[in-house]
Amino acid sequence: MNPSFKIWFILVCFFCFNVQLQLGVDEGYTLMVSKNNELSIVGAATIEANTVYGALRGLETFSQLCAFDYLTKSVQIYKAPWFIQDKPRFQYRGLLIDTSRHFLPVDVIKQIIESMSFAKLNVLHWHIVDEQSFPFETPTYPNLWKGAYSRWERYTVEDASEIVRFAKMRGINVMAELDVPGHAESWGTGYPDLWPSPSCREPLDVTKNLTFDVISGILADMRKIFPFEFFHLGGDEVNTDCWKNTTHVKEWLQGRNFTSKDAYKYFVLRAQQIAISKNWTPVNWEETFSSFGKDLDPRTVVQNWLVSDICQKAVAKGFRCIFSNQGYWYLDHLDVPWDQVYNTEPLNGIHNPSQQKLVIGGEVCMWGETADTSVVLQTIWPRAAAAAERMWSTREAVSKGNITLTALPRLHYFRCLLNNRGVPAAPVDNWYARRPPSGPGSCYAQ
Amino acid sequence: MDEIRYETLFVATDTSRHYLPLPVMKNVIDSMTYTKLNVLHWHIVDTQSFPLEIPSYPKLWNGAYSPTQRYTFEDAAEIVNYAGRRGIHVLAEIDVPGHALSWGKGYPSLWPSKNCQEPLDVSSDFTFKVIDGILSDFSKIFKFKFIHLGGDEVNTTCWSTTPRISKWLKKHRKTEAEAYEYFVLRAQKIASSHGYEIINWEETFNNFGNKLNPKTVVHNWLGTGVVGRVTAAGLRCIMSNQDKWYLDHIDTPWQMFYANEPFEMIKDEKRQSLVLGGEVCMWGEHIDASDIQQTIWPRAAAAAERLWTPYTKLAENPDKVTTRLAHFRCLLNERGVAAAPLVGGGRVAPFEPGSCLAQ
Repeated sequence: MNPSFKIWFILVCFFCFNVQLQLGVDEGYTLMVSKNNELSIVGAATIEANTVYGALRGLETFSQLCAFDYLTKSVQIYKAPWFIQDKPRFQYRGLLIDTSRHFLPVDVIKQIIESMSFAKLNVLHWHIVDEQSFPFETPTYPNLWKGAYSRWERYTVEDASEIVRFAKMRGINVMAELDVPGHAESWGTGYPDLWPSPSCREPLDVTKNLTFDVISGILADMRKIFPFEFFHLGGDEVNTDCWKNTTHVKEWLQGRNFTSKDAYKYFVLRAQQIAISKNWTPVNWEETFSSFGKDLDPRTVVQNWLVSDICQKAVAKGFRCIFSNQGYWYLDHLDVPWDQVYNTEPLNGIHNPSQQKLVIGGEVCMWGETADTSVVLQTIWPRAAAAAERMWSTREAVSKGNITLTALPRLHYFRCLLNNRGVPAAPVDNWYARRPPSGPGSCYAQ
Repeated sequence: MDEIRYETLFVATDTSRHYLPLPVMKNVIDSMTYTKLNVLHWHIVDTQSFPLEIPSYPKLWNGAYSPTQRYTFEDAAEIVNYAGRRGIHVLAEIDVPGHALSWGKGYPSLWPSKNCQEPLDVSSDFTFKVIDGILSDFSKIFKFKFIHLGGDEVNTTCWSTTPRISKWLKKHRKTEAEAYEYFVLRAQKIASSHGYEIINWEETFNNFGNKLNPKTVVHNWLGTGVVGRVTAAGLRCIMSNQDKWYLDHIDTPWQMFYANEPFEMIKDEKRQSLVLGGEVCMWGEHIDASDIQQTIWPRAAAAAERLWTPYTKLAENPDKVTTRLAHFRCLLNERGVAAAPLVGGGRVAPFEPGSCLAQ
């Protein structure tokens, strides 16, 4: 009688314990599974990796090779033996969440982080604050979180540290964003002087030292929480009307011979220097590059979202770029089906290899205007998985041509795997995102 | 002092129209405890799929959507155990003779014919052997004193149009309606023999109420009228009138869930005591792991308050409840339960940014 095949697990990890989680950490691994009864001395599953983060990725793959067989009631690894050598194509594979338009409880953020690890996404871009609410505790300026929706729709510094820790355990970096000078109306609930005027509340008042003291204070508080080397300073969609129309700001502009565009540039650059002084590399949305690219700090990472060929232009000027084309990778755009997400290529139009290297990766964005706890996970999944494959797999390995035959079955399988793990990933086949299944049916066919 | 008004407060889930993985079932069970709901009515099998392992008849789960969209016997025991530790009973339902097409994937002889696959073949003893096997297996894991035998929406056409069965009907001098009655009563006897008390959907009462096992609990769903008649006949009742307590009807707003009063039809106290409780039903045609929790919540909570709270403490005007329900919905969110906004029927997405408490 054959004994049941038990897998002995060997994990070899050369620099498991002295490696920091940072961008570019080695996430590669080799996974070997020998077949039962083959002539294998080892008779085991082995993962070799240079870092613990590579080992984590290998374990994730291994977990997805395992499947419960209902006939034998045992966990099987189909189609063994396996020899997998794997590493990511892009270092930066991100998901943006927005906790200002809707507060997302800590447990929900953890569910999101956990689900990211299943698709090997490795950066959580936390767009913490925006116009509608300021939910974050900033001890240096404690009135800021009066701008939260309510007294308990807030994150304490302990909550934030817990999120960073939880993410790190899964090899996921957390990049915080403090969007300035636009998208910042909520700051004035606690400190009304930050508004140009009570009736004109955005962007932040560029004339005051208070504004930059507050930014500096927030960044000092955040430096203790967010170890990731990048800090996102936003800088998008800046409507300078309130500067031009508010008397004291208008006078300040005139005094310096600034156009409002000059003032926008001045603001962004000054904020960048604050972040740099705290040992961060600034990331900014693409309008900063489009408006005054030559003056941006050369370390700036430009995040594309608006215009489709921005990364092309940015890397041509020597800037690193993160790809988030809103036409395809904005998850709040519900009318983008999975195949369009999948077929989007970050290096489109970029042919020079040294420029290609400057595209550090991409990010799918889960903006929160119509996404709260009740719908956020089913809006993210399964489409984020299509982008995740594009970001991890080599360009050659990614499916081409009729992806209905090649990628779609795999996405169905992955969506059902997510469901089996308790992640409410929406049906794949619906053209419009986060819709219910069209009728009764198998998970694999919907 | 807090005491429950009704004995049983149910939520029904349907794992035949869509398979619900174990973590999802557990999430539903956890969320039930937050509103003191105490019975999970598990509508396991239906036309579309048969996902549960039945050791006595191991081919039955060939009717599952796929080899992996299944519950092993151990899975089912685990759900019962998980619920039990949270003070929640699991009421298993095996719906017969209708809603049973999926049984024939593993045992085609249960179908009247290859082209006419519902209801289960009333003329065959094998049918009842299988029911007996199922209930025998059930008795090992489903320890709640009740079992639900379904009996709803029985379209007997396939009996009269299949020669073998129409012959049987003639031989036993039964009309189709009488055969339906015969089927239900025979299934009831089998369930009793395994120590269960029986629940059936209301059509059984509507068609042959005086023939039902006298301890039958009638499960209302069609309209509210039947509750009065059931209790007048001395039978117990569970309320789930579909116009107000069907969660899959997403155009039913929470206010209607709240306002649904089981005693509206019954003023006599003795008869009121025959109303065991009520149930909100999460039918699965358009519900799968991706959207179940936001369809159940927060509307089920409105019904839960109706069932738990003494009549005199309930709000007469549901709008007075809005703040508390919003608060509760946000509490659910805090606990990782994807409860939907209050505004606008079931499972709507929020249409703009805003505080959890105000949406």
